[in-house]
Amino acid sequence: MADFNVNLRDVGSVSVIDVNGYLDAHTAPELENVFNKLLDQKNFKVVVNFSDLKYISSAGLGVFMAYVETMRENNGDIKFSNLKDNVYNIFDLLGFPILYEFYKDEQEAIQKFNEMSKS
Amino acid sequence: MLQNNLKNIERAKGLENAIIVSILLFLFSLIFPQRDSFLLALISESLILLVLFFVFSYIKSLLSTKTDSPFSLVLNAGILAALIFFIISVSNYWFSSLADKESNQNIINFLFSITIIFIFLVAVIYILASFRELFYLKQKKDLTVYFNTMQVFFLLTFFSNLLLKIDETLDYPYNSFFVVSIVLISLNSLRVSWIAFLVKKQKLYLLLVSTILSLLFGLNFGLLHNETNTIRQIIYNFSPGLYSILNLTMLYGMLYFGVIFFTTLFHLPTAEAFDRKALEVSSLMDLTKLITQVFDFKELADTVTSITANVCNSYAAWLVTRRDGEYEISSVHKISYVDADKLTKMLLNSDEYDNSRVQTFYYDSVSSEFRSEMNDWKSIAIAPLKLHGQINGFLLTARQKDVNYDEDEKKSLQAFADYATVSLENAKLLKESIEKERLEKELDVARDIQRKILPEKVPQSDNFQVAALFVPAFEVGGDYYDFFYLDDDNLGFVVADVSGKGISAAFIMAEVKGIFESLSKLILNPRDLLIKVNEILKESLDKKNFVTVVYGVLNKNSGVINFARAGHPPIILCSGNKIERLQPSGIGIGLDYSNGFGNSLKEMQIVLKNEDIIAFYSDGVPEAKNAKDEDFGYERFENIILQNRNKSIDEITNILMQELSLFSKDHSQHDDITLVLIKWNKKN
Repeated sequence: MADFNVNLRDVGSVSVIDVNGYLDAHTAPELENVFNKLLDQKNFKVVVNFSDLKYISSAGLGVFMAYVETMRENNGDIKFSNLKDNVYNIFDLLGFPILYEFYKDEQEAIQKFNEMSKS
Repeated sequence: MLQNNLKNIERAKGLENAIIVSILLFLFSLIFPQRDSFLLALISESLILLVLFFVFSYIKSLLSTKTDSPFSLVLNAGILAALIFFIISVSNYWFSSLADKESNQNIINFLFSITIIFIFLVAVIYILASFRELFYLKQKKDLTVYFNTMQVFFLLTFFSNLLLKIDETLDYPYNSFFVVSIVLISLNSLRVSWIAFLVKKQKLYLLLVSTILSLLFGLNFGLLHNETNTIRQIIYNFSPGLYSILNLTMLYGMLYFGVIFFTTLFHLPTAEAFDRKALEVSSLMDLTKLITQVFDFKELADTVTSITANVCNSYAAWLVTRRDGEYEISSVHKISYVDADKLTKMLLNSDEYDNSRVQTFYYDSVSSEFRSEMNDWKSIAIAPLKLHGQINGFLLTARQKDVNYDEDEKKSLQAFADYATVSLENAKLLKESIEKERLEKELDVARDIQRKILPEKVPQSDNFQVAALFVPAFEVGGDYYDFFYLDDDNLGFVVADVSGKGISAAFIMAEVKGIFESLSKLILNPRDLLIKVNEILKESLDKKNFVTVVYGVLNKNSGVINFARAGHPPIILCSGNKIERLQPSGIGIGLDYSNGFGNSLKEMQIVLKNEDIIAFYSDGVPEAKNAKDEDFGYERFENIILQNRNKSIDEITNILMQELSLFSKDHSQHDDITLVLIKWNKKN
């Protein structure tokens, strides 16, 4: 099937998840594992970098919905960056931009987190 | 069945013949007690031969059912030999007067001697027939010619006695036939391959029996040569032929049991190995049968361990299998789970362990820390359960005796380990196929729910045409569309897509239908209705599930449509040669349960003009994929509607369907496709 890769890296106090390939019902559990790990480590500030994501299905969207509440309750958030147009359209159609923050660049999202913790 | 009956009839007939000829012989002897003339002797001998023949064929058919028990054949022959010995030994004391030719006149004496002759006749024939069965037992080659040749020479010996009646000096044919017969007997005595198939215990027993019987037959042979013996005289006087057959048979018995004695003696040292091989083969056969019949792995594992312990001359055996990466004891035989677990862990963790082959651990060779663990178990062998290079478990066996496992035992252990591997795999495959079947049933249920939820027909009106298209995906997506007849003027319609697939999506879908059915008549405003739906679904939607909906109300007279969109793909409106996507703001149901949902949701109103077409659909339409993984997309979708806008609504739907299936013919459909088209047909 379509391949999917997920990579986790830390930039300061922010965790950046790079998603790559096709995120659908079959590959969503991999992303869920990464989020579970973040919860275990009490890392609640998450930026998801979509620069290499080709496709996202409703199951993929569901992953973010499942974890965002916990992140926000712990003064964190899930922010999205570097979305291709076709991927952004899927988020947009569903109304994600009303509930989540989207950035052109990963750095902006990280900065946003840093500003928030300063104030 | 029929064949058996026929055999029985044949046998009965054989007995009948034997009795008739015996009576003839009896009468003949009664009439001609003295048979000194050649003719009388010939007739008498021929009659005896006929009796021999019929009794032989009768006993032959009787014995053919006993071929799988050589022991009973041997014992029967032995008992008869003992009987003969008994009669011969006591004859000189008890009925010596019978030998006197003159006393044959006495009817009682006559009856007595003829009884003895018949006893001997039947006994000899029975012994010969038993030897014949033993001769053919477990022989792979066709040896009929050897035995038949011997029988022919027996016959020749039998008749050559008559020559002595003609001339006393004519004894060389008799002697030479007798000698040839002995040679043939010696040759045929070597056919004792059935001994190899006896178990050790039986061989020991046979050793004893054959010693006694060889001696017994030898004694009989010797006693019968004693010219003064009464029985010899009786039989010889009655029929010299029968006497020589009796002699030959006793000789045959002596030689045959002598050969059996030595053969068994030489077989004894290998008897145990042979027994084990035989046990192994039969155990493997039993296991093979079990594997195809028993689907319960536990039962099979128990059988494997008990057979392993048995065949490998072990005390205990146990089977370790891997489940979810962990090794666990599946079955134990004569060892506790605790001990088995301890020993397994000890072996697997030991440095010497190598899982590519069968390995043995011996009390002497293990390090002292293991020795304390192994105190009850002096010797252990372990075989891997290997499939496609992967280790699925281990089969182990242990002894309390201080004896290491030899190569043969290791091989048997590996054979049983391989069987366990196959049966494990079988059980796994069976489980998978059951699971697959269950999933397919679940899919059927989900499809059934979906089919029942969707409306059977579309609304009819003079002012507009409606067409609906629904193509379920193999995996059952969560698409739903419906129409609600709100009042005389208003028609409600909904197109929704529940995230997720299968039975869970189907259940949410059913709930969504219920909510819309009940609320649509109470809340006429589409936006208010969707806000309420979001509130209600909060209870039943998982965090990661959502529903996208378009809900609208069409005024059947004015062509005014009020609608709201909650995260659903935009509505397509084709008006004249203009086509546009209408996408009022609104987030999907289930994304947010606070004010965010209501705040974002905007209602939209459009007024349909004559010939206007409006399309509601699920994302299955624009996201239909072709072989290159490209989307069908909005452009194609819109162009088809635009180009065919003057056709009837059913035609447009058909064309769309055709184009869609043509586009995605090399790609499996992974999502439901739902399409509802409305064409307004009234000049406002």
